Amino acid sequence: MSTTEATVGELHEYALIESKSPGRLAWERFRRDRVAVVASFVVLFFVGIALFAPLVCKALGINPLTLDRKALNDFGLPNGPFGAMSRKHLLGVEPGTGRDILARLIYGARISLFVGFVSTLLTTVIGVVLGIVAGYRRGKIDAVISRFTDLTLAFPSLLLIIALTRPFTQRLESLGVPEGNPARLTYIILVLSLFGWVYVARIVRGQTLALREREFVEAARASGAGHWHMVFKELLPNIWAPIIVIVSLSLPGYVAVESTLSFLGVGLLPPDASWGVMLGDSVKYYRADPTYLFVPGVALIVLVLAFNVMGDGIRDALDPKSDRQQLG
Amino acid sequence: MSAKVGTPLFYSPLSYLRIALITFIARRLLFALVLLAAVSLFTYLLFALLPTDPAALTCGKNCKPELIEANRVRLGYDKPIHEQYFQFVKGIFTGRTYGTGDIAFTCPAPSLGYSFNQHECVSSLIGKTFPVTAFLSLGAFILWMLLGVGTGTLAALHRGKWQDRLTSVITSIGVSLPTFYVGLLVLFSVVIWLQWLPFPHYASPSENLHDFLTAMILPWITLAVLSAASYTRITRNGVLEAMNEDFVRFGVAKGLKNRTVIRKYVLRAALIPIVTIAGLDFAALLGGAIVTESVFSLPGMGRLAIRSVTDSDLPVLVGTTLVAAVFIVMANTIVDIIYGILDPRVRLK
Amino acid sequence: MKRRIIGLLGLALSASLIASACGSDSSSSSDTAASTDTLAIPGTDSSTPTAGGTIHILSQLEQITHLDPQRNYTGSDLAFVGSTMQRALTSYAYAPGSAGSQLVGDLATDTGTPTEGGKVWSFTLRGGATYEDGSEVTCADIAYGTSRVFATDIIVDGPTYAISYLDIPQDADGNSNYPGPYTATADQQALFDKAVSCSEDGKTITFTLSRIVADFNYTVTLLAFSPVPKAKDTGEKYDMAPVSSGPYKIESYEPGKSLVLVRNENWSKASDPIRNAYADSFVYEFALDPAVIDERLMADAGDDQYAVGDGGLQPENLQTVFTDDRFKDRRQDDYDPYVSFTAFNVKTVSCVEVRRAVYLGLDREALRTAGGGPYTGDFADGFVKPALADDYAPSKLPEGLNTDGTPNIESAKAALAEAKTKCPDVYAKATVEGLKFFHPDTPIWQKLVSIWIESLKAVGIVIKPTAVEPSKYYPTVQNEETDYDISRGAWGPDWPNASTMIPELFLTTGGFNLTRNGDDPAYKQFETDTKAALNELDRKAQGKKWQALNQFLVDQLWSIPGTFTKAQDLWGSKVGNAYRWSSSGSFLFGELYVKQ
Repeated sequence: MSTTEATVGELHEYALIESKSPGRLAWERFRRDRVAVVASFVVLFFVGIALFAPLVCKALGINPLTLDRKALNDFGLPNGPFGAMSRKHLLGVEPGTGRDILARLIYGARISLFVGFVSTLLTTVIGVVLGIVAGYRRGKIDAVISRFTDLTLAFPSLLLIIALTRPFTQRLESLGVPEGNPARLTYIILVLSLFGWVYVARIVRGQTLALREREFVEAARASGAGHWHMVFKELLPNIWAPIIVIVSLSLPGYVAVESTLSFLGVGLLPPDASWGVMLGDSVKYYRADPTYLFVPGVALIVLVLAFNVMGDGIRDALDPKSDRQQLG
Repeated sequence: MSAKVGTPLFYSPLSYLRIALITFIARRLLFALVLLAAVSLFTYLLFALLPTDPAALTCGKNCKPELIEANRVRLGYDKPIHEQYFQFVKGIFTGRTYGTGDIAFTCPAPSLGYSFNQHECVSSLIGKTFPVTAFLSLGAFILWMLLGVGTGTLAALHRGKWQDRLTSVITSIGVSLPTFYVGLLVLFSVVIWLQWLPFPHYASPSENLHDFLTAMILPWITLAVLSAASYTRITRNGVLEAMNEDFVRFGVAKGLKNRTVIRKYVLRAALIPIVTIAGLDFAALLGGAIVTESVFSLPGMGRLAIRSVTDSDLPVLVGTTLVAAVFIVMANTIVDIIYGILDPRVRLK
Repeated sequence: MKRRIIGLLGLALSASLIASACGSDSSSSSDTAASTDTLAIPGTDSSTPTAGGTIHILSQLEQITHLDPQRNYTGSDLAFVGSTMQRALTSYAYAPGSAGSQLVGDLATDTGTPTEGGKVWSFTLRGGATYEDGSEVTCADIAYGTSRVFATDIIVDGPTYAISYLDIPQDADGNSNYPGPYTATADQQALFDKAVSCSEDGKTITFTLSRIVADFNYTVTLLAFSPVPKAKDTGEKYDMAPVSSGPYKIESYEPGKSLVLVRNENWSKASDPIRNAYADSFVYEFALDPAVIDERLMADAGDDQYAVGDGGLQPENLQTVFTDDRFKDRRQDDYDPYVSFTAFNVKTVSCVEVRRAVYLGLDREALRTAGGGPYTGDFADGFVKPALADDYAPSKLPEGLNTDGTPNIESAKAALAEAKTKCPDVYAKATVEGLKFFHPDTPIWQKLVSIWIESLKAVGIVIKPTAVEPSKYYPTVQNEETDYDISRGAWGPDWPNASTMIPELFLTTGGFNLTRNGDDPAYKQFETDTKAALNELDRKAQGKKWQALNQFLVDQLWSIPGTFTKAQDLWGSKVGNAYRWSSSGSFLFGELYVKQ
């Protein structure tokens, strides 16, 4: 290519370039990352079937509560290979009760994702608010919030969550929350949020502190901008990127924590199921019904992996140099 | 403390910083103590205000109301909360005596209470179980740091290539897998299906080194691999960021070999935040790796704590919570102080 | 006695629950014929026992619930402690099959002499028995041990027959005037010394009871009447380090880890005709995962060849063990002493038609399958197990009840319709508000309660489950304040007489009454008849009375009969004498030996 042609070609290209907003640029970068796109579809798939669980089950003709005695042998174990997988029960049945595993997975996704989403939402909101306030106002307020953060962090969270499950769910029930699983779920979400906002707050505070010193913020302040303007027009728009990343990466974490809690026995009450409950139950059937051990586990891994890959993709898309930022 | 305007100038800048450092350390330590007091008070209140009646729990199945009342008086649960708390704190410094007459007994200082379920002083229970947790945490810590930092550095150095992408995928999986599930799969695979190891049966290393190692190796590997996943990511990011720093470019420009640059500047810069996070995680593990200990049947503090929950053994529960909090606060304080030493700007906040 | 559960057979509770003492199953030999093994009693063989070696006992629990003899009330623990460390006045014979229900003298020369029609009992002591420090076991020690039961603020959880039977005045609330040896004044101690006295030469001990107890010599098999040397009594701490009068003593005890017993050199075989003490030592390993226990026993490698489990096989592994011939010679499946049942809170579910509707509509077959199928046991037709031959007769079950355990929806609905007219409030409660079912919070119960909910939905009855922490389950449901409608339990006789089943379960003064049936119109008659049966001296006549009362209970349905439960065990290939002892339903641990 001769220099002249190149120049003309480049000029031509320059003329065709529209100015795109950072969001648009990010979206296009995301779309080019094929792995992340696939992951997003997987996430949407899970969210979709979770949202429309009753319809999905009806369409497939399965039900998470119906007992199928015929699918079990005299020992109470599934009476076919692979956990008695069949046309009627695509992923087999639960030992002991004969309930359909696919249906329980679908309804379980609902609960696991519900806990994950609400916890993430609460921790993000609380964490962002406190983080910005601490980072922006500095001084006394920052000190108070930081001390409060230290206090929250000092407690062994998992232990306390487990220890306080029963008494606190009882308290909630006496306050009017419906008995049983609604109270349990409320409790789990509340405690996860109570302990989880700290991590978000720390990161947001750090980002806010760094941003404060940037020139455009100085400029805005110098030109007499009020606090609200500073927060909403200067700080937040530049923080939402790490926040999005935090959101997409913490959600699978909460799903995993919920499953750990269920495994340790403080999860849901019967007859509902969450993936954690199924995982915890499946362990003892490793010899008699290994399929039951793998199915919820694989589902959990796939969901978590999809969220993580999607989150990574978002982060890379938002800032191509972002892998140089320390967000760990 | 900040310099007041008009301070006499015979304070040289260096000694000024030194004074600031000492004040900083003192303030940090004081704050740690205050925090611990707050944690102990909060924990005690939390459990004391539970709807469950601690006296009823000492009783067993044939619980008559008179018996519960008698126990309540004997154990001091009839006193007001602040007095109970005071007795509890006093016990930490002077020990505590239970019962009267011939069958009285004492829990020596630091007394964290007495477990009626296990007929033993809480401090002694914790003293017995803590070494197990300590061994577990230490071994896992060393392994995950080696694995995480090593892999992360490699990934950073080969950014964009297949090593990096593969690591990214693997760590994505590892970061959010529930520990209990992986632990159980590892246990079943290695011990039952493959039969590479005998069933884990913990013994202290001085008693039986072979049993100790066979019992610890699987939990070490499980914890290390799962933790290493996130440390790989952190290291990778940290190394990449450090590589962009000016002083690194300066080193390269000076003509230093890549490897030297990496070793001397990059890693050192990247490692500080990594080590601090790792220190905090290590401290959290010391407070009781509940899930790992349950899965691999290790008689550590985590399992003691879980057992106290199922048995409603309140004294042990309060004791283990407190000890765990102590470790976390200690680690935080040490980390802050180290930062203060390394980065003078921090002292002046 | 309550059963000790280890997530075993479906209708059982989880490990941390305390069970209670055991009675005997006099016809277990006929039961073992029902197992899939040969006609010989599993666990026995023709080889002669050899001395030496170490037996391992693998347990899911964190510790032995109570080593203190006066606080020990768990069947398996009584068998373990009684065969190794604590002797009693009388004991059951150490033999397999029905011979294991014979009463024999232990510290006593024989099974005791009743006078005044059974109100006063004397036992002549054999003599020559020594503790681990060499000192002699004296009559005063037995009296002292018995007196500790009265110190109810420290000595908790044990059987309290001493308090209810001994002739010591009580106050208006039913509490004894004797507060136990730690706090008694001289006058109060005198009250006790009158009821339990030693002869001048210390060779005879006499118990004066407040009423006739025809089988008191069975009562004293409980370790609550075992000797304790007063000088060595450490009160609350005795539970960790009791003094041994048996062939073994504690070498080390670490809850959560292990309990190691070694030979007591100061035990003399001459003074102890019952115990054989073959093994040199026992290692009780704690806090093992139940799946791991089963795996180790199946693998049978290394030291596990000398091991037994103390909690039975897990339901998930029953298929593996019982369909594979390589376990043929080291497994067993037979009845234990327990009956499980579901109790109604008769105060709130005061309508027998509603209770009948629940019984008819419940899918008991699905419940049994979830627990492991026929291995869980047989559908119970009452509260007395066939093993109590004198007291058992097949009862007439409610009309329409399916013998195969499947629900009879039409009959259930019919009963419910009756209830609608007869007791509309309870009907509304059952169909609209829902019956509150308090169950232990364990994985198996999560499934069982789902079956309850689903199967009764078809009838129109609503079940609202409440999960209770397993270790607090019994204290919770036994607390009068707790508001539940349905709970569950399992009980076994403390000795071979239904007098330890029916009164304990259904009298308001009983030790395990979950039904709160005191206000029921039928109760007064029941109470009179039961008291008459308790005082009946003619054993055969008494048996007939229990049979009639059993039928009465089945008609009232204050509790729904559950299962005559079975237990399954696996043991190491080199363990001998691994038979199920009919008295406790567990291994007779002290008699296990290592096959050389």
